[in-house]
Amino acid sequence: MLALSLVKRLPGFQLDVAWQAEEKVVALVGPSGAGKTVTLQCLAGLMRPDQGRIVVDGRVFFDSDAGVDLPPRARRLGYVFQGYALFPHLTVADNVGFGLHGGSRRERARRVGEVIERLGLGGLERRRPQELSGGQQQRVALGRALAVDPDVVLLDEPLSALDAPLRHALREELGRTIREWGKPAVLVTHDFAEAYRLGDRVIVYEAGRVIQSAPRSELLWQPASESVARIMGIRNVLRGTVIKASPDRIQLRWRGLTLEAVNSPTRAYLPPPETPIAFFIRPEYVRLIRKDRGAPDPEHHMNLMSGRIVDEVDFGTTWALRLQLDEPGPPAQGDYDLEIEVPRLVYEILEIGQDRHWQLSIHRGSIQVLPG
Amino acid sequence: MELFPVRLSLQVAIIATAITLVLGVPIAWVLARRRFPGRQVLETLVVLPLILPPTVLGYYLLLLIGRRGPVGTVLAAAGIELAFTWRAAVLAAAVGSIALVIKASQAGFEAVDQRLEQAARTLGRSELSIFWSVTLPLAWRAVLAGGVLAFCRAMGEFGITLMVAGSIPGRTQTLPLAIYDRVQANQMNEANALALIAVAVVALLVFGVSRLARLRY
Amino acid sequence: MRALLAVLLLGATFGVSSAQPPGAVPSLTVFAASDLAFVFQELVPRFEKATGTKVTLVLGSSGNFVHQIEQGAPADVFFSADEGFVDRLVQRGLLIAETRALYGQGRIVLATAKAAGEKLTDLRQLLDSRVKRVAIANPLHAPYGRAAEEALRKTGIWDAVRPKLVYAENIRQALQFVQTGAVEAGIVALSIARVPEIEWVPIDPALHRPLNQAVGVVRSTPRPELGLAFIQFVNGPEGRPIMKRYGFLLPGEF
Repeated sequence: MLALSLVKRLPGFQLDVAWQAEEKVVALVGPSGAGKTVTLQCLAGLMRPDQGRIVVDGRVFFDSDAGVDLPPRARRLGYVFQGYALFPHLTVADNVGFGLHGGSRRERARRVGEVIERLGLGGLERRRPQELSGGQQQRVALGRALAVDPDVVLLDEPLSALDAPLRHALREELGRTIREWGKPAVLVTHDFAEAYRLGDRVIVYEAGRVIQSAPRSELLWQPASESVARIMGIRNVLRGTVIKASPDRIQLRWRGLTLEAVNSPTRAYLPPPETPIAFFIRPEYVRLIRKDRGAPDPEHHMNLMSGRIVDEVDFGTTWALRLQLDEPGPPAQGDYDLEIEVPRLVYEILEIGQDRHWQLSIHRGSIQVLPG
Repeated sequence: MELFPVRLSLQVAIIATAITLVLGVPIAWVLARRRFPGRQVLETLVVLPLILPPTVLGYYLLLLIGRRGPVGTVLAAAGIELAFTWRAAVLAAAVGSIALVIKASQAGFEAVDQRLEQAARTLGRSELSIFWSVTLPLAWRAVLAGGVLAFCRAMGEFGITLMVAGSIPGRTQTLPLAIYDRVQANQMNEANALALIAVAVVALLVFGVSRLARLRY
Repeated sequence: MRALLAVLLLGATFGVSSAQPPGAVPSLTVFAASDLAFVFQELVPRFEKATGTKVTLVLGSSGNFVHQIEQGAPADVFFSADEGFVDRLVQRGLLIAETRALYGQGRIVLATAKAAGEKLTDLRQLLDSRVKRVAIANPLHAPYGRAAEEALRKTGIWDAVRPKLVYAENIRQALQFVQTGAVEAGIVALSIARVPEIEWVPIDPALHRPLNQAVGVVRSTPRPELGLAFIQFVNGPEGRPIMKRYGFLLPGEF
């Protein structure tokens, strides 16, 4: 159980955050420079907050009011640095065993051997870090942090030093390793997908503040704001104007159309008419209406609109289409209004490659408003 | 030919280099890694011996350690002779060359990635342990370079030595002082021979050190 | 490797011995001004032979010697190129007043490098365009340098020659500059001018204050009688002819 509140002033930047987590793995996500790494460094005792309090599993690491500031070595944690910070002048075995003190040399060697085996680094003990691949280096860094049996593991962008295909493969492995070792972990990443896959709780940072802290499922479905949605990489984040708001529905005006959306379920959001409002529509929930089945049924097809496909990208299993509405006026997202995702099968059956003009509908539940 | 100046200079240079390393490396580390008030003062003090003319430096040093100087009187009371002995030659050589050790080592320490030191901190090491097991092993070449420079400087130390130790043949006349003396007395053969020995010593050292530096890593 | 280093260091600490074991042979340390280089090279071995003493001759700048003796330098006797320095030390109580004596009067000469062409015979010729650089000992601390400056001023050419002047550490170095041809001419001491590479003419002694050279026994010496013996040797029947041969005027002659 981790509780943290801290203020840190740096040139051109102020970090002011507070959050708590009961979950095992916490992911801090957000754009570069948002303060995630600074938070991690304060957690580790490598940086001192100007004010605040940090408590991990009942142990007070830092308390500016009480004058408590445990040095890093008293905090019993493991830290995996961005770029790994492996000691270039030591072998893999010496790197992994660097933090081990006490016990006989044999015991330490045994422990090192154990960690090396568990992380699949067998055979590399005598190598130097420079001779290893990126993935191997990452595991050595992890091994070094875990060998000391820390109370909590901190990871700073553990995968960003790797190239994209490797990153995906190792993400799963890293997640497995963290869970197998069973240690609480705090990890920092700028990649939302990574945060979502690895973290039980996701804490979103922007410009030195926490803009949302939630268990991951909640975050996925209920981003707290437009900023969070953007950080999550959600597509079709749009702006409209409120026509009428009630506890479960919001009617809004967008691109000359009247849309009906569900209201934010976790809060009573009742903006007055004519207020600007942000909302998003998931690309995979936009339905293209088949042309061979007569006129669309209003019960079935809500939020009807029509437009022309102006761009498309083939992703193998899906197609991403960009559609410009027939409505007059400039498109909402550059030269298109909506991004739509269709499975390959649908693309082929509907012959979208040839037929570019479509009517579409969006269920009101698929239009989610973003408060403030 | 009298080889005393050669022996004396070698011994003086070895001891002086050892002193500059023992004192200079920690100072270099402090300058590389710590911010503190008075830091500028320390930086200035370090390079001062490089700027001041050696005889001037020697004069001030003599005022300090001579029979009437503050340090000199204390040493005399303790029965220790410093000025006008080979020990003063060591002092002169060390003062003249410590800046080289400090600057070279400081650059070496600054080049060590601080995250490695941070990693060591998270792994439970004390600051001293971090210095010995991380910082120094990664900067040893710079420290070695500083040491070599200091040794060469110590072998060639002239002006300061002349003042605080004197050019007393058979007692404090180091190799550079001996060469100078022979040149002034127009004993060119001896002067050339001594100069050749000086060159040979340094060449041997540089060769040996570069072999050493290529090993490992 | 480390062991070797340790052994070297240990050896160095204990191994460097400066003097002979005390009490074996009487020894004398003589601090002498640079202009006495050649004459003492002849005198000292004779003294050593005559008395069985081992003499350590230290040559250098009188000005530096004054600082060093003030700070406890291990000199037994101090032969200065300038009586002013000796008197200063006597006043400070650092030399035994009773041993203060003149041992000679120095002379300066105008030296020309043989390689530079025709021999200069008059100071005013230093203004010649073919004379590009002139070496003298540093007037600030070398008495012979001061005498050179006085002579040049008295001749009225100091300001004109000044840009050409090269200051040497001491008179021996000034001689060296001329010998090697690094300068075309110089003003050096007569006592050291007899070297093959240069030609010289005397400079009128009236052009400068007399270079009375004095000596004194250092008070802190453990062997004052030995120091005195050396002074008496230099000023005695054995030393005087040799001093004269090297161009010094002797006490009693000036």
